[in-house]
Amino acid sequence: MSSGATVTPPKKTATKPAILLEKIATNFWLRTIVKKVFIVWVVVTLTFFIIRALPGNPVEIMVMSLMDSGLSSEEAYTRAASLLRIDLNAPLSEQYLDYMSNLLKGDLGDSYVLAINKPVTTLIAQRLPWTLFSVGTSLLISFVIGMFLGTLAAYRRNSLLDHALTNFGAAIESIPNTLTAIVLVLLLGVTWKVVPLNFMRGSLSPGIKPGFTVEFLIDLFKHYAVPGTVYVFSTLGGWMLAMRSSTISTLGDDYVTVARARGLPDLRIITAYVGRNASLPLITSLAISLGFVVGGSILIEYIFVYQGIGLLLSQAIGKRDYPVMQGILLVTTITVILSTALADLLYGWLDPRIRITGGGE
Amino acid sequence: MNQVAQQPETLQRQNQTLRADAPSTAAPTLSVKGLTISYQAKRGAVQAVRNVSFEVQRGEALALIGESGSGKTTMGLGMVRLLPSTATVSQGQMLYQRQLDGQDTNRVDVLQLKGRDLRQFRWKECAMVFQAALNAFNPVLRISDQFGDTARAHSYLQGKDLAERARQLFELVRLDPERVWRSYPHELSGGMRQRVLIALGLLLEPQLLILDEPTTALDILTQRNIMDVLKELRQRLDFSLLFISHDLSLAAELADRVATMYAGKLVEISDVYTTFKNPVHPYTIGLINAVPTLTAHRDHVASIPGSPPDLIDLPRGCKFHPRCPLATERCREEEPELVPSTDDTHWVACWNWEIARSQLSAGQKGTSA
Repeated sequence: MSSGATVTPPKKTATKPAILLEKIATNFWLRTIVKKVFIVWVVVTLTFFIIRALPGNPVEIMVMSLMDSGLSSEEAYTRAASLLRIDLNAPLSEQYLDYMSNLLKGDLGDSYVLAINKPVTTLIAQRLPWTLFSVGTSLLISFVIGMFLGTLAAYRRNSLLDHALTNFGAAIESIPNTLTAIVLVLLLGVTWKVVPLNFMRGSLSPGIKPGFTVEFLIDLFKHYAVPGTVYVFSTLGGWMLAMRSSTISTLGDDYVTVARARGLPDLRIITAYVGRNASLPLITSLAISLGFVVGGSILIEYIFVYQGIGLLLSQAIGKRDYPVMQGILLVTTITVILSTALADLLYGWLDPRIRITGGGE
Repeated sequence: MNQVAQQPETLQRQNQTLRADAPSTAAPTLSVKGLTISYQAKRGAVQAVRNVSFEVQRGEALALIGESGSGKTTMGLGMVRLLPSTATVSQGQMLYQRQLDGQDTNRVDVLQLKGRDLRQFRWKECAMVFQAALNAFNPVLRISDQFGDTARAHSYLQGKDLAERARQLFELVRLDPERVWRSYPHELSGGMRQRVLIALGLLLEPQLLILDEPTTALDILTQRNIMDVLKELRQRLDFSLLFISHDLSLAAELADRVATMYAGKLVEISDVYTTFKNPVHPYTIGLINAVPTLTAHRDHVASIPGSPPDLIDLPRGCKFHPRCPLATERCREEEPELVPSTDDTHWVACWNWEIARSQLSAGQKGTSA
């Protein structure tokens, strides 16, 4: 900082924070990390205040449900106050600073209502694997089938098969997954009695311990089968249609014609020349949709009482369990950010044209 | 191939066997007979190629010239059987003379090839350097992998032998082998990619190389460079060349014979010297007059009036008559066939070629070809 009167040019001796800032500005990875951390902070802050702006707080909600079960208003308040040892009267800014300082230590707080005084991290750690397993597996299955059918439709363009597949894809894409879920429960469980109803409730039969046992894996699959089908069914059409149009445009590319002129076998052309290039944009959307695993599962997990994080979130919202809601939304944000980062990495790995070379851009 | 003997350069090892017996055979490498190709469009059939016959002799370079939309590229694609599905070859033959160890073996009709035979014909017998060479390579595979794919598809050399063979080819087309071999296509410039494609075209030592406007998308210096490479390759290696271009000066540089195409039909075919010095078809004369030369006065550069006909709704009689200064009643009614004119190497499809030669060529100055 030089005063306006001095004529000497400012020296180029940078101070320590300036060096750090410059490093952040020039280093690709550092800059990326700083950006992502900033996004997380913005989301955490917004959700913190928005959640608390919802009508009704945990105590009021509990009082209401206690009153429904016959207690008088005063009794309900005393009961609720004794059950929930939380102070919601502190100023919001104080609560926010408190939450943020705990968050920096890796502490997401304790549950208010759902599992009183149980750390939110433990709750999430219990529920997240179920959702990741059920939605993640379905996503991969639907992606693979969709790619295959889309390629088939593109190669048989304007044939009967193509029209059938395209219409089928568009139709299933437009059916809400909740409707599919309810119809499947009704048909498979009630009308045809193909799947016992207890396999459509919960994620494991009571008494079965998770582990690498045959019994566990079979039970896991039985509970997964119907909700898994719903996930696959509701996403398949989108992948198929995307792959079809991507393949059609790739088939028109010059290098495919040249590959044919080079006398390459059809299989090699379909896989390494058409398939690999056509799937590039889909790989990105696959990685991005991995990030929406949590959000996309709420209603399905609710219908099947599947013990995943979506069900936990809907329970937490119902009871205004602020720390749990906040924690799950944080996890969602981080998965989205990580999966977009994964998409970038994957894309760079699959497509040499956008590979980052050197330390700069 | 008359320049071949004058070349003192050491020949590439792989090509010695091919070169030793160059003059021994007389059968043309390719003979196209009555080829007719049309596209199905909403308005009707697009008659892109109509009853075209020509021969490509062994070791010869034939240039196919004409305006855009005259059917040149359709011819080229038809030759490797890569026409889009809307195209139909309604008649004709494309007889290809196979060779084994320099001796003629059987003749095959390319149009009858199927499955594995067709796949083997492509690139091993007849390679094609495309107009859009900028996008000719799979963007996600290294050049080495794309050479590997081609070699594997034809059970050719693999591994180190392939790399060595590619290295020689890259040197032939004036590329730095070390740099190109491990590159991805996007890391190479347009001119480099074009030369890589030429090298790839020569990989399997095909008898026939089709070049479809190989320099169209390139700047003038790169174009010059590619032309020099091609001329040098012609002198060093033994293959027949079909050079498709709209650029007369390039054709003059590279070709032994020139065939002029108009509205899907060959209208004149002769050796390159005759085409430029004594053309007899009014269209060819017009094309040559349209090329500015260094010596000629600016006034002599003239374009051909009118535009090429609609290939769906062709005029009756000679397809050139609406633009021809010499058109007569006969031209409007009857289409002339390709017949010998001044001698049996110079064929023309024009009723009035003798008048054209004396009247139209009069104002023409010699080209710098």
